[in-house]
Amino acid sequence: MILDANNLPDDGTLRADVCIVGAGAAGISMALQFLGSGIEVLLLESGALREEPDTQALYAGAVADERLHSPPDRYRQRRFGGTTTIWGGRCTPLDPIDFEARDYVPHSGWPFAREALLPYYPQANQLCEAGDFSYTAAATFRDGGRPMIEGFESAYFSSDTLERFSCPTDFGARYGQRLRSASNISVVMHANVTAIRLLPAGDRVAALDVRTLGGKRLQAHAAHFVLAAGGLEVARLLLASRDVQAHGLGNQHDVVGRYYMCHLAGTIGALKILKSPGAVHHGYEISEEGIYCRRRLALRPEAQRAQRLGNFIARLHHPRVTDPAHHSSVLSLLYLAKPLIPYEYARRLLGDEHASVRTWFKHLGNVVTGPLEAIAFAWHMLRDRKLAQRKFPSIIVTSKANLYSIDFHAEQQPNAASRVMLDSAQDALGMQRLRIDWRYTPGDVDTVTRAIELLAAEFNRRGVGRLDYEPATVEAEMTRYGAYGGHHIGTARMGSDPRVSVVDGNCKVHGIDNLFVASAATFPTSSQANPTLTVVALSLRLAAHLRGLVRAEAAATAIAGPPQPDGHRNPIAAGSPV
Amino acid sequence: MTVRVLVLGADGFIGSHLVGSLAASDWASPIACGHRARAGGGADPIARLQFDATNESALYQALQTADAVVNCIAGSARTIADGARALVAAAARQSRPPPLVHLSSMAVYGNVTGLVAESAPLRGEDAYAQAKIAAEANCGHYSRAIVLRPGIVYGPRSRQWTERVARWLLAHRLGDLGAAGDGCCNLVYVADLVTAIAQCLHLPGMVGQVFNLAMPQPPTWNEYFVGFARTLGAVPVARIGRRRLKLETKLLAPPLKVAEILCRKAGMSALRLPEAMPPSLLRLWQQDIRLDVTRAGQLLQLRWTALDDGLRQAARWCNQRADALNS
Repeated sequence: MILDANNLPDDGTLRADVCIVGAGAAGISMALQFLGSGIEVLLLESGALREEPDTQALYAGAVADERLHSPPDRYRQRRFGGTTTIWGGRCTPLDPIDFEARDYVPHSGWPFAREALLPYYPQANQLCEAGDFSYTAAATFRDGGRPMIEGFESAYFSSDTLERFSCPTDFGARYGQRLRSASNISVVMHANVTAIRLLPAGDRVAALDVRTLGGKRLQAHAAHFVLAAGGLEVARLLLASRDVQAHGLGNQHDVVGRYYMCHLAGTIGALKILKSPGAVHHGYEISEEGIYCRRRLALRPEAQRAQRLGNFIARLHHPRVTDPAHHSSVLSLLYLAKPLIPYEYARRLLGDEHASVRTWFKHLGNVVTGPLEAIAFAWHMLRDRKLAQRKFPSIIVTSKANLYSIDFHAEQQPNAASRVMLDSAQDALGMQRLRIDWRYTPGDVDTVTRAIELLAAEFNRRGVGRLDYEPATVEAEMTRYGAYGGHHIGTARMGSDPRVSVVDGNCKVHGIDNLFVASAATFPTSSQANPTLTVVALSLRLAAHLRGLVRAEAAATAIAGPPQPDGHRNPIAAGSPV
Repeated sequence: MTVRVLVLGADGFIGSHLVGSLAASDWASPIACGHRARAGGGADPIARLQFDATNESALYQALQTADAVVNCIAGSARTIADGARALVAAAARQSRPPPLVHLSSMAVYGNVTGLVAESAPLRGEDAYAQAKIAAEANCGHYSRAIVLRPGIVYGPRSRQWTERVARWLLAHRLGDLGAAGDGCCNLVYVADLVTAIAQCLHLPGMVGQVFNLAMPQPPTWNEYFVGFARTLGAVPVARIGRRRLKLETKLLAPPLKVAEILCRKAGMSALRLPEAMPPSLLRLWQQDIRLDVTRAGQLLQLRWTALDDGLRQAARWCNQRADALNS
């Protein structure tokens, strides 16, 4: 069922076996795993079905350097469905190497290998509506698919790995009806969690403080609590809850909010492919299940180890849109349509530099001189993106001159100095806002610089193309638009040592028996992959773990008799939702 | 000595499968009863009768030669209800009333959701469900009846859930329906249903029982459509949005249905017309009803056909049929 906290009695109590905070990709995926289980689940969502400015404003905060990080209320949505309401849909699993402790990547290593997530990835793929869990062209296409560049074989880079695209799926719209009709799941909208209250001993969560912007105050009681509010808000909630643990929950060693990572991304260079245009295919292929798939140039794991570099992928990209020198009517049309493109996409696609009137007219000139191409592109975008249920994922412009740029997406190293923290300013509910101080390291610059250098050398050595770029500009290009928006990673990192981690391998906060985190906040390292698919897979794994815990507790209760009045064994009995 | 089994509705999808299976067995011999004349030669080893299955006296005569009867009658609501009434009356008048296996449907449960056992109330409201409920009520008056409530029966020769779905998939009118296809598709492969019928006749203690029938881990409708499309080669599978489904079922279906009826009345073939997609299907594809088949699993000792195998058989038949039609 779906309820509105504004319609619940003031000072009321919500009860469940499992309480999940945040109805985004993680929270909704978890809640779905309890359908028909008999386990009562409470899913608390701050927003409602549509974006509401007052609620979205609760995400506002400060950034240390506006050139390096977007404002905290951008690239994330405080509403039912969370940020999946605006995501691009790119799905890629983490690679086996991402889980390894690598001596050249500080603080690397997950508490488990990729195999621990493999049982959950296929279902995560289904929930993301990205088809089969098949991420190589050889395994996906009966004929192996079209090569990205004919004849390009490299010991350093593989072009066989794929990224798959979700519709993109708005988890709220897609799965809302299933949650609405479930008798054991209660979604409560407009329910803002403002604090996590511990029992006096500090080893268990007693309840969550829930408030509405309309002034209602509620408490949520459960046997288990899961924070699934996104990589930034998870840290904020942990840091803001200081009634028993003075430094915030799980923060005895000042780790919460630190090691904050995004991805290192940018576009660089001019790549001239020395083959016929027909030998290059840098766009999408559609799999049998109807999924858009795209090849990338992925730095092979053995090359990463040998070169001591982080994970890295690159795609062939169109020339920079803002520069009318590309003479492409399609790209210029995009430039002129900038006011119609959402901020989250326009910033990286079209830049935020102010263009002169002269530049604007040059773009207009490009459109006027190639009207048929521009009209065909506009029709393609209308039919295959705007009106289609499964949307064409991005702008693909084939160059007749075989001229491309390189679009890269790389792993950022964990760095304790890169962090989010509480600011002195407060939001409308009296909660301290976030301050973001995202930083990158020389190691990050090295990964991108040397990977591009390797790529250029490989193109040259194999005789397929020539990549012209200025090595000295790599750092500037990788930070031109700052940290990659929307990928908020590492602020409650996973590990076995509480001195350098916040949650354990089951995503349970160290030292607190019934508090878990389902978010990219738990990733110890960032990989090259977009995080959503792995967030969903981790959430499914956590849901399975919690189902086992609740069943074991129920079995123990059945043997030992009903819970004691002091509630130590199972302080919160399963109860009916409001 | 073999058991003589009168199969009513032997011309139909399930009846024809049952007749073939019984004829191939060493314990039963079918007496196929249909309402259509059959162009047969002397080579047909199967005993065949032709009469109206709502005709009680004809049924009485036919039952005189049978040891058991299976009611696979399809058709209009009236045919279903009247046929069951006549059959029960005719069977009860026999000197040795035979066991009767009656094929009902999951439609009797109506629009309920969740896990549904045989003891659930029968709440189906449309004419078909009401007729099935009435037919079951008649069987309730007969002491030797066994009632089967299959879900979505698919496989070779299924016009409704195999051939029609295949046509829509190939035309990309069906595919991945998103939230509109999240309902549970209680599939039962036709050979499994035939086996269940045989077990009802074969095993002791079945008389008076009611069984739900569907594969134990049924797919969603989306999974069925996508899996079938891939097996058929109707790829890439289309993503069909809610807007388009509404257009199909609300706007296009009524005129297409009218055109189909007019064609039929005028004696013209409606084959070239796209088949109407009725709104009831849109509701079904979203309905999260899951048949509880625990009893069938335990008492009928069934081994269910895997979905991939069933889809392969269904697709092979579709392709053969398409080849035959094209030639």
